[in-house]
Amino acid sequence: MRLEAKDIYAGYGKIEVLHGASIRAAEREIICIIGPNGSGKSTLLKAVFGLLKPTKGTVSFDGKDITRLEPEQKVRLGIAFIPQGRNVFPSLTVRENLEMGGTVLGDAKAVQLAIEEALDSYPLLSRKIRDRAGNLSGGEKQILSLARADMVKPGLILMDEPSIGLSPRMIDEVYSKITEINRRGTTFAIVEQNARKALSIAHRGYVLDLGQTRLEDTGAELLNNEEVKKLYLGG
Amino acid sequence: MDSISYYLQTVLNGILAGCIYALFAMGLTLIYGVLNFVNFAHGELIMWGAYFLFLFMGEPFGLPLYVAVFPALALTGCLGLAMDYSVFRPIRRANRLTLLIAAMGLSVFLRNAAQFFWGAEVRTYGFEVKAGTQFLGLYLTTQQFAIIGVTILCVIAVYLLFFKSRLGKSMRALSDNLDLARISGIDTKRAILAAWVISAVLAAIGGILLALDTNLHPEMGIANLIKAFAATLIGGVGNLWGALLGGLLIGLAENIGVLFISPGYKDGIAFVIMVLILLARPYVIIGERSD
Repeated sequence: MRLEAKDIYAGYGKIEVLHGASIRAAEREIICIIGPNGSGKSTLLKAVFGLLKPTKGTVSFDGKDITRLEPEQKVRLGIAFIPQGRNVFPSLTVRENLEMGGTVLGDAKAVQLAIEEALDSYPLLSRKIRDRAGNLSGGEKQILSLARADMVKPGLILMDEPSIGLSPRMIDEVYSKITEINRRGTTFAIVEQNARKALSIAHRGYVLDLGQTRLEDTGAELLNNEEVKKLYLGG
Repeated sequence: MDSISYYLQTVLNGILAGCIYALFAMGLTLIYGVLNFVNFAHGELIMWGAYFLFLFMGEPFGLPLYVAVFPALALTGCLGLAMDYSVFRPIRRANRLTLLIAAMGLSVFLRNAAQFFWGAEVRTYGFEVKAGTQFLGLYLTTQQFAIIGVTILCVIAVYLLFFKSRLGKSMRALSDNLDLARISGIDTKRAILAAWVISAVLAAIGGILLALDTNLHPEMGIANLIKAFAATLIGGVGNLWGALLGGLLIGLAENIGVLFISPGYKDGIAFVIMVLILLARPYVIIGERSD
């Protein structure tokens, strides 16, 4: 199993948000986590990545226990995290943003090579390479944040609300990029408010409610599940 | 001196003062950008930098100026690191008011420490005062040539560091978004230490240039901090080029200002500029940025 988070308890200060949530994702899988506001979706991603320390439970990556590792160490293992909103460096150029994504590659040559590859696979960015990231549109920023995470060809990308604030056309663009990266071998765990879109590309989905995993099924099955339809897909 | 050269001389004096303010302001804005607080003890790095040079030029070292600057800059860099290690790092996640008060306390401590070692009297590096050489109808002393030359070198160095080197770019990234920098795998602790060293060295260079042109006294840092802070505000806090420009503007405004008002109010000009900007953007000191 590429990612396995078992029985995670976590929260902010005294407020516990997750009361035993579990997810797992196999190699080359896209999983999505849906659920109402406040169900702990984003908290779960943060706990998996180590931005929050789980009070109980374990997180493992390729069979290795990574529960207590710092985010920096997880990046080195090949785990990338794309937070919701504010996920580019606005005063840096597009090229510099990509360069920052390649930090853990180490030497300058490897970074340069990875930037060239990124520009080939993200033509939209190659046209804006010298622009400040802060001047990009919301969709372009989201694409840049994907490209930045993709610089190190991570084994797993954790992504929080990729579709938030984007036009339907840009959402399609971002999601087609996600499937493209996934086909090259990267596992995705996506938290999404836009459940229909996420389930349509996900191999499997989880429904999180009140800090616990309520349902787990294939994306297609969840899309057809009456309860999910009623609660999260707008009838 | 005819009146045209008189005005040109005034502008030149403004640029000279501005160069020094710019060096102070760039260091101040760097720490603001990276750690998100105004280091009100920055003035003491200016003053200590100048006194460290005094230390190495005097007995028992007796080093010539060109040699003594290196240990002086290195020690000021260490002082910057020590400030962070002993005071600011333990309260990294505290609110702005706590950081502000801690910085002010540190500033008082360092000023008194300097007074303890070197006394409160005005000192100089002991160079003879020479008449300036005439240059395009303007008078410039060797020290003033040095101010302009060294400032230009510093600006080039800052450019190369922050826009061409990976460490510098990672400091800018950190300044943009600390969490995202950590998430991207940037070694944020190392970048913060580097920012302290650079900020302190720029302060020391400015302090030394100022002391070469005028003199040394324990209040020289705090007196100039206000100017640097005003320059930082003009440039937009966290913005290196803005700080450079802001410093030059403050220097020019002060020197051109005294053509119209009594020189006794010279220091007031920076204050007025600062108050006006703070009225428009009070969040700089007291609260969260609204962007």
